[in-house]
Parts: sequence; structure tokens; C-alpha cells
Amino acid sequence: MDDNPADIDLMYEILGSCKRRYHVSSVSDGEEAISFLHRRGRHSQAPTPDLVILDLNLPRKDGRTVLKELKSDSLFCKIPIVVFTTSQASSDIASSYALGANCYLRKPGNLEEYRAVVQSMADFWLGFAALPQ
Amino acid sequence: MQIMQTTEDSVASKAFRKHQGHTEGREAEPDVEGARKIRVLVVEDNASDSELMLHALKDVGYESECEVVQTADDFADRIRRNKYDIILADYRLPGWNGMETVAMVRQEDVDIPVVLVSGALGELKAVECIKQGAADYVLKDHLARLPQSVRRAIEERDLRDENRRTQEELARSNRDLEQFAYVASHDLQEPLRMVATYTQLLAERYQGKLDENADKYIHYAVEGALRMQTLVKDLLAFSRVGRKQEAPRETDCNLAVRDAIANLQSLIQETGARIDYEALPVLVADPSELLQLFQNLIGNAIKFRGAEPPEIRITARKEKKEWLVSIKDNGIGIEPHHAEDVFVIFKRLHTREEYPGSGIGLAICKKIVEHNQGHIWVESQPGKGSTFQFTWPLPSK
Repeated sequence: MDDNPADIDLMYEILGSCKRRYHVSSVSDGEEAISFLHRRGRHSQAPTPDLVILDLNLPRKDGRTVLKELKSDSLFCKIPIVVFTTSQASSDIASSYALGANCYLRKPGNLEEYRAVVQSMADFWLGFAALPQ
Repeated sequence: MQIMQTTEDSVASKAFRKHQGHTEGREAEPDVEGARKIRVLVVEDNASDSELMLHALKDVGYESECEVVQTADDFADRIRRNKYDIILADYRLPGWNGMETVAMVRQEDVDIPVVLVSGALGELKAVECIKQGAADYVLKDHLARLPQSVRRAIEERDLRDENRRTQEELARSNRDLEQFAYVASHDLQEPLRMVATYTQLLAERYQGKLDENADKYIHYAVEGALRMQTLVKDLLAFSRVGRKQEAPRETDCNLAVRDAIANLQSLIQETGARIDYEALPVLVADPSELLQLFQNLIGNAIKFRGAEPPEIRITARKEKKEWLVSIKDNGIGIEPHHAEDVFVIFKRLHTREEYPGSGIGLAICKKIVEHNQGHIWVESQPGKGSTFQFTWPLPSK
């Protein structure tokens, strides 16, 4: 869930070059993020994700609101949510965890670190971690 | 005589007037002919004396509008309500005196010059009145001097007003500039991140697959983006100084230096640096800024070391109104004519190959010190080490 196509493409690039295969879907605003999970409108065939990667600054519905809504919804509260954003504000970090984010990661400024962060996030959450069925 | 209004003057309107007085000044309005009209408040209980004063004012060169008050309450009320250009006050009044008039004006925090008009006062009292803030004092039997005295007092007040306006304008434009640097450096990070990541991706994917020039050009773009990221990050760190909302508090320099040394541990071990400090003062400061100040100064002293392992000595001396803190090293030193350049943001005296870094460290030091009403400078000779010194105000009681 990210409104910057460059970040989405980078994510596809990096996850696409991993050994493990991932099925990646993307949405570019907060309203669409909620529709996707509820399988509303054009997302009627959408899968339930094993992991949500969420940017905080989303148009239409802010990432913080999306986080709050998902974590207070019994249908979705078990899906791990990784906040992935440029914000370094300690208030954003604290409030994200308070709202139930499972992890907060900052988008690094260069490719090498970006790749390392995305790969280890995928390895951890979709490899090592046991997830609810 | 002006008709009295209700006695309560709201705090808000007082504040508003004060604000206006400060930002817009109070040039007496020119009338149709362009001559100036001044508003005068006379404090005098003797009707014939006030007549004489008003008569003397005719020669002042401005048209004047006068009001006379007799009691302290009435006086306080008027200066709160109205804007006067000048107050002429008798020194001896039943129940109060000229000195109190001056004190009341000061207490109201309005800039209205007070000229005391009185019988023989005696030199001591006259000097005391001027010390308390009276603009001048004129003897009742020398009223011919009054116009000149009034003119001068008003001119001086005009100058103060103008000065204040200039100062405020300068402070405002500085604030705007700081805000601009902050917003710009903050918002530049995001697009820059895209440029850096994607030029790196291009380099990775197409290295050796295009021609030689392409490889070189992509390399330039990647290097440029990374360097700009460093600059923007440094500019952001620079513009963050002093933006904290928390009030400064008593901070022990010994602890700040100890933490700075801990943060620089690997550099210190690598270079065999020795850092001595003892009995440093407690300053009223933002703890993280004080840490940054010492860390930048110590880090700099190590970075610009000579052939010998760095020896750094930090001392402090209590002066009349401030602490003077010195950081002395045995490094390469600085040409005296560069002594001020080293504090300029992004100014570097060496090539990036000789000494890496973007030239932000000392600029941040300067900003931290000056934000706390101190000064920072360096005394140095090439090859003879440098002594960086800064002052910091003593904690106010």
C-alpha cells in the first residue's frame, strides 16, 4: 500500500528477484487498501494477504487510519502489518506501534540498503515467522 | 478635555495596542499641510503652570493636542488607553512625584518619552530621574528650553521605533529563511531518494551492457545523487538546531563530554587520541545540543590532527557574565585569515580527498552556541594547533 509507483516498482523488482516466489498486489491509496481487503468493487477476486506493507502517507485515507481500521477489525487484525515509510518522526513510530503495527521500517535512501531491508522483511515475515492460517 | 470611557480596558486591547506600537511604530500623523501633529499628556496640578507649559509648546514646530491630568490613577488610565507622543510631568505633585511617573510609564511597557518639568531639583535628583528613564528635565523658569527638549525626545523615540521595526523585520526574515531551509531540506529527501535508488538500479542492471561512456555517466549521476543526499541530510541537521520545543535545562558539561567521547570511541582508539577535561561547568542547555557541540569540536580536533597522536584539552573559566570553554588541540592548525571561514556552512578548506565531510560540523556548533546567546571562535596558527573557544551565559538566578 503505497502511492509512489517508484516504490511499488522497486518492491516488485526486489521481491521478484528473490529465490522464494511471492504473490504481490499493490494499491495506491487508503480507500483502495480497505476495498482490497474487503474484496469490494474491482477487488472482488483479491486474495487475503499474508503480510501488509503499509506506507503512512497515503492519499484519500491516511495510512495511520488504515492501520487503525485494520487492527480494530476482527476479520483483519491478525494480518501482520509492516509500516514502511520515509517518516523518521518518533511520534509516527510510537503511534504506529500503539495502533498495533507489527513492525516499523524506514525506507532507506540507497538501493543497497533498500534491498537489504525489503529482503530481510520478506525473509522474516514470510519465511521464519509462523503466521495465522 | 477628553471624555472618560469605562474604566476597564481589556487586556486584549492593551496587548493589541502594544503590539501595534511595536510593529508599526507611531509616527505622528501628518496633517494636510504635512506638518506633524503630536499628542501631549501634561501631568500638572497647578493650572497656571500647565498654561505656561502649553504656551511654551507653541514653539515646538509641531501642532500639538494636549490633555492635562492631575492624579496618578487618571494618568495610569490615560497611558493605557491612548497613544501619546510625549509626557510633560511636574516633578512635585500632591501624593506622587516625577520619578513615579517615569516608573509607571516603564511598567506599562509603552515607549512614551517623559520630560520632567520642575522647580529647582538639585543635581542628584535630576541625574536619578534620567537614570530611571526620563528623556530630559527642564526647569520651570527656563521653559524656553522646552520645545527643543520635546523635539529631541520625540526624534529619539522615532529612532527607537525605527530601530525596533528593523530588528523585527530582520528577525522575521531570519525565521522565514530558517523555515525555508528546513522545509526544503526535508522535502528534497523524498525525490532525492528516488533519484539515488533508481540511478543505482540502472548502474547495476546496465553496467557493461551499454558503451563505456554510459557507464561513466551513470556513475556520475549515482555519485552526484549520493553527495546531494549527504548535503541535504546535513542541511536538515543544521536547520533542526534550535527547533526543539523543550526548554533548555541545567546540563553538566562533564557528562556531555563523557558521552561525546563514548560516541567517538572508535576514532579515538584508531588515532590514539588523548582527551583531558576536568571540572567543567553546568550550563543551561538542550542536552542533545550540548553533546553535539562537544562531539563536533572533539571530532574535528581529532580529524585535523598532525603527525603526533591528538592531544585535546578541555577547560572552562568563569567570567563575569558567562562561562568561557576552551578546546585546545595539537593538530594542523588554521591560517588566521581562515579563522572565520571554518564556521561557514558547507565551507571546506581542504579537498574531499584530504579530509572527507561536507563542512557542516562547525556551522552546527556556531548555530548551537549563538542560539544560546554565546559566541564561538578559534585561535590558531598553522602547525601549532588550534584552540576553539565558546562562551555560554551563566544560569540566571
